[in-house]
Amino acid sequence: MMGNLLEHMGVDRDRIHFSWISSAEATKFVDVVKEISDKVRALGPNKKFVKDYNK
Amino acid sequence: MDTCIEKIRAIGADLLAKGEVEIIIGFSDGSIPMAARPVAVSSRDDMEKLVFNSTCGLNLANYVSKNSLSGKGAKIAVVAKGCDARNLVTHMVENQISRDQIYIIGVPCTGMVDKRKIASMFEDEITKFAEEGDTLIIESALKKLTVKKTDVLRHNCQVCTHPNPPVFDVMAAEPVAEQTLDQPFADVDNIAAMDPEARWAYFQELTQNCIRCYACRNACPLCYCPTCFVDESSPQWVGKGQNQTDVTTFHFLRAFHCAGRCTDCGACVEACPMGINVREFTRKLNKDALELFGWEAGLDLEKRPPLDVYSPDDPNDFIK
Amino acid sequence: MNFITIDKNDWAAGIDQLKKTYLVFGPVQDENGCQIKPLAPDVQPEMGAPATVMSPKSVLFPQTEKILTATLDESSKDHHIMKPVDKNDTPRAVLGIRPYDAKAVQLVKLNFDNPDYKDPYWCDAYDITTFVGVGVNRPGPCDFSTSAGCGPFSEQGLDVLMADLDDRYLAKVLTPKGEAWAAACGFDTPADTAESQTLFDILQKEAEKQINTAISTDNLAQKTILDLYEAPFWDDVAFSCINCGTCTFVCPTCWCFDIQDETKHQTAVRFRNWDSCMSPLFTHHASGHNPRESKIHRVRQRFMHKLKYFLDKYDQGIMCVGCGRCVASCPVNIDIREVCNLMNDYQKDK
Repeated sequence: MMGNLLEHMGVDRDRIHFSWISSAEATKFVDVVKEISDKVRALGPNKKFVKDYNK
Repeated sequence: MDTCIEKIRAIGADLLAKGEVEIIIGFSDGSIPMAARPVAVSSRDDMEKLVFNSTCGLNLANYVSKNSLSGKGAKIAVVAKGCDARNLVTHMVENQISRDQIYIIGVPCTGMVDKRKIASMFEDEITKFAEEGDTLIIESALKKLTVKKTDVLRHNCQVCTHPNPPVFDVMAAEPVAEQTLDQPFADVDNIAAMDPEARWAYFQELTQNCIRCYACRNACPLCYCPTCFVDESSPQWVGKGQNQTDVTTFHFLRAFHCAGRCTDCGACVEACPMGINVREFTRKLNKDALELFGWEAGLDLEKRPPLDVYSPDDPNDFIK
Repeated sequence: MNFITIDKNDWAAGIDQLKKTYLVFGPVQDENGCQIKPLAPDVQPEMGAPATVMSPKSVLFPQTEKILTATLDESSKDHHIMKPVDKNDTPRAVLGIRPYDAKAVQLVKLNFDNPDYKDPYWCDAYDITTFVGVGVNRPGPCDFSTSAGCGPFSEQGLDVLMADLDDRYLAKVLTPKGEAWAAACGFDTPADTAESQTLFDILQKEAEKQINTAISTDNLAQKTILDLYEAPFWDDVAFSCINCGTCTFVCPTCWCFDIQDETKHQTAVRFRNWDSCMSPLFTHHASGHNPRESKIHRVRQRFMHKLKYFLDKYDQGIMCVGCGRCVASCPVNIDIREVCNLMNDYQKDK
């Protein structure tokens, strides 16, 4: 529901990720983090929920 | 809608006379047109103060959990519309109050008026507001209007499907007819149809005039945390100024804390001095709660809220 | 002091002219009601607009104001040293405010500009600001300014007071700042002084007649602080309060603030934000103790400050100008007029 609300507010769904990873699943953790980083890198820098003190 | 007030007063007087409750929480007339003031009545002489009309848009469940008497175990009677009663149920489900501590005087509700919509019909300030059945007579120095109440209902009342209290000790009148809607969340669907940038812009614009007075939070019966996350200082989760990022963070998290708990009573919007429709956030959560879990808050004392329990049937395709 | 007459057909051109040398603020209507805001180049002030939800205090005292910055970059010589931010010293003109709001600025001035303390941010802004008010021909039901040391045509704190005469404004220029404003707009058609003053007096009487609510403040000064503090009515007054900050934020005379430091990457910024005595956090000590722990304490504090402590400290009347904003905006209809009268009438049982 949290992801849905963020998406509803206009945050890219690809920036939000939920996974179950056991503490014994180190390789899965690495794979998931890599996958998310790649996805987010492709999206470019996020401008939402970022403070700008010059405004 | 004032027809049941005599019954409410009679019930209240009886409860006090028998010593069954210490106070009765209800509404009294305000000092300006279209204002209703929450009040606690503890003597029969003050019973005349109680009123009930289409301007009683706040949620009185808010005065139960946050009242010092409730902590002392005193028994309290509450004049409750459908949504007030649902929030009392939510309080009970969340162990804020016990069922035997509360005496619910149920009021079947025909909806509350949208005070801003009415004010926008006038160029100057409203000086008189009167209600006769389904007709409202509203006056300012410049003009007098007669409008049908159904034309100026608040949005949450237009889409309300539970005007009658689901749980009560006594009803002050016969239940009113309950509607079913083909498209209960048309407003949410309209926003969902926009592209992400437009949605972001929509919510930024929605809250651009927020003054962070926290009236929306404080008018909400769900917000009873001893210290709200925006008031925490170590760590400080969110900045306290008018930076739009902080404002957005507050609104997003306030809404999310109501997930699966909100009854769409509209008290948050009613309280907002800037007239911001903060329900735009909670409406999405209510839609999801209904569609994903078949859940509407505050209808049943026995059922646990969906975010409170695990079920093998819970939707989990968001976990990747 | 002189009067000028301004044809409404010439008004917009005058304001456009003014924008060349002034930062102009005025009433603007948007989805959230009418607010005093800086006017965009293509926007004219909505002079006939209803009372604004928020007061114009933010022109001198923004809700969030960046006051100091520092760099955290340790390779920089002056790292961690707070420096003032660049100020915009363009003269400001605030148009279309109601007279009570100008009086409110004078009350706030007692706090920010006095022999003991001069607040640089507020004083600098005050020095460059011109207040152009419009008399209120039709005061609303919440307006009780006449009994709060003010009124619909009060001149206190204004540089120019205008009267709206349908097709034209009659402007009473009260100060040199007001003269400079009129010159910057190019408004220079003189009006007969005696005739104009008579017209002002008539309008004022008409307007004052429409104000039919009042507060009584005559006994407040003689009351003992502790008697009022311990009066039995506070429980009832505070019952409905939800402890939001609406009354303090919409109030033109509430001046409390909070200082916050924030950092991001190598930048540190010090902000000043409005604070509210309605919030439990306002008096929350670092020790965890809170001397105003319950809402009764906080509600009492607000009214005692406005109607008693301020009066005792400055002897300049109450800290309220009768604008009625808190009455109109309070979600639960706590009415300062009722509270003031309760306090004024209170007799301690012997």
